[in-house]
Amino acid sequence: MLTSGKTDGSSPGAQTLQPADYAIEVQLLSREMERDSQPLPVLRDVHFHVEEGEFVSIIGPSGCGKSTLLNIIAGLDSPTSGTVTLHGSQDRQRLGSVGYMQQKDLLMPWRSVMDNAILGLELQGVSRRDASDRARQHLGRFGLEGFENAYPHELSGGMRQRAAFLRTVLADQEVFLLDEPFGALDALNRTQIHQWVTGLWESMRKTIILVTHDVDEAILLSDRVYVMTARPGTMKMVQRVDLPRPRSMDVISTAEFMAMKSTLLTSIREEATEGSLP
Amino acid sequence: MSAEVQQTRRAGHQDTGSLAGSMDRAIRQWLPSLLIVVAILVAWEMYVRVFDVQTWLLPAPSDIGTALYNDAGLLWRHTRVTLSEIIVGFGLALASGVLLATAIGLSRTLERAIYPFVIASQTIPIIVIAPMLLIWVGYGLAPKVIVVALISFFPIVVNMVDGLKSVDRDMVNLMRTLGANRLQVFFKVQVPTSLPYLFSGMRVAIAVSVIGAVIGEWVGSSEGLGYLMIRSKPQFLTERVFAAIAILSVMGVGLFASIGIIERFAIPWWRAARGQQTSEN
Repeated sequence: MLTSGKTDGSSPGAQTLQPADYAIEVQLLSREMERDSQPLPVLRDVHFHVEEGEFVSIIGPSGCGKSTLLNIIAGLDSPTSGTVTLHGSQDRQRLGSVGYMQQKDLLMPWRSVMDNAILGLELQGVSRRDASDRARQHLGRFGLEGFENAYPHELSGGMRQRAAFLRTVLADQEVFLLDEPFGALDALNRTQIHQWVTGLWESMRKTIILVTHDVDEAILLSDRVYVMTARPGTMKMVQRVDLPRPRSMDVISTAEFMAMKSTLLTSIREEATEGSLP
Repeated sequence: MSAEVQQTRRAGHQDTGSLAGSMDRAIRQWLPSLLIVVAILVAWEMYVRVFDVQTWLLPAPSDIGTALYNDAGLLWRHTRVTLSEIIVGFGLALASGVLLATAIGLSRTLERAIYPFVIASQTIPIIVIAPMLLIWVGYGLAPKVIVVALISFFPIVVNMVDGLKSVDRDMVNLMRTLGANRLQVFFKVQVPTSLPYLFSGMRVAIAVSVIGAVIGEWVGSSEGLGYLMIRSKPQFLTERVFAAIAILSVMGVGLFASIGIIERFAIPWWRAARGQQTSEN
């Protein structure tokens, strides 16, 4: 890397230095917040990238700034220093281009499942009819068939999460950020939804960044897994996951999987103990 | 998943009970307050009879009942006047209140410019303003409608503004990541969020608007229940005054309940969503 992340990319040659197939590139990104009028570094020199069509997971101890990082990538928050590049461009407005799904399903209680699902298309100016047609093609796959007119309060937690997922997928943005979207589900539902997400992603090949604290989930779904340090968070290591696709739940018991899991867990445990020191 | 589906279906249909069921629930809901009313009326009746209180001083419930029956035509004529003052005044307050709240919600500058006046408007004693209104707009319906509107627009504005501000920040952020602009966030998130608050404000407003109409009539009028009370008191027709009070109470309760019914149809998701939240927590 020849340039530091602090140049604003205005020099004509700046873009050619970055590989064209990076969907997201984060360079030397730092973020400071303020707590009790004391500066609190949350992220320090975070440096990583995600290739086009790649599924990347980020795991780290709680409070390491994972959510702050996603907020910055989504365009909801700005870094104190450093840059985020979306498809080779730093200056582009990322709000509207980067999909963001949070742990809370954030379904609007006054909208039916259908109207919640087409929210993104509605905001893009797609007509209601076209949007509904598009949504209807996916209802079966998302297990929401026959529920398009139901309201969120009539659905189970798993169904609400799938409806939120459908809203994210239909909006069809360039990159998807998933902030522990399966955290609220119980173990049984999680296993089912992992299987389902793997299948979905393998058919769509979208660029995804998943933040999770579940190592199994990270290995099972991802092409690469990043581990973050305790606060101030930064990338500590990256683990490539070369398990063949399509993946089934059976890979969990393979030696390869076990080895990766133990490497990642060791790395995370170091952070957990360091993080708890005063 | 089929078990999950079935369970969800059943839960969804639970609240659509039969007519008999809802009647049953209504009786159970109203029975306690009905019993209290009956107990008070019986005690009142006994007190008046045992101590032989004069009717002009304190009429017995039976005297009030007789007055309601005998003067039904007269009372109905005046009731219609008061009711229309309330409905027109409340409608005016609702329309202007929603407009004002929307303006305040859309613009910080407008909020700073207008909100102090909205609050100040409530510190002006209505009883002082009402006679001035007679001079400004004359007798008839207009001054009463204005008093009702003045008194009832405040809870509507304040509640709706609170509602517009109480949005879920995460939901606003979701809208922004989906590319929504400020107006889309306002109309698609803030306005729906504010509706339950607006209905709370309307409930308070409709209750005080009954008082507003009576004040308006006391200050100067030739018809309405307030006028009837003012005129009946010096004639020692105390039972008629009480009959008018009884009608006003029933009117207030009825109008209050109507807001609840409108709310149920206008924002059907609210009751259900709220019920789920409380059962989860």
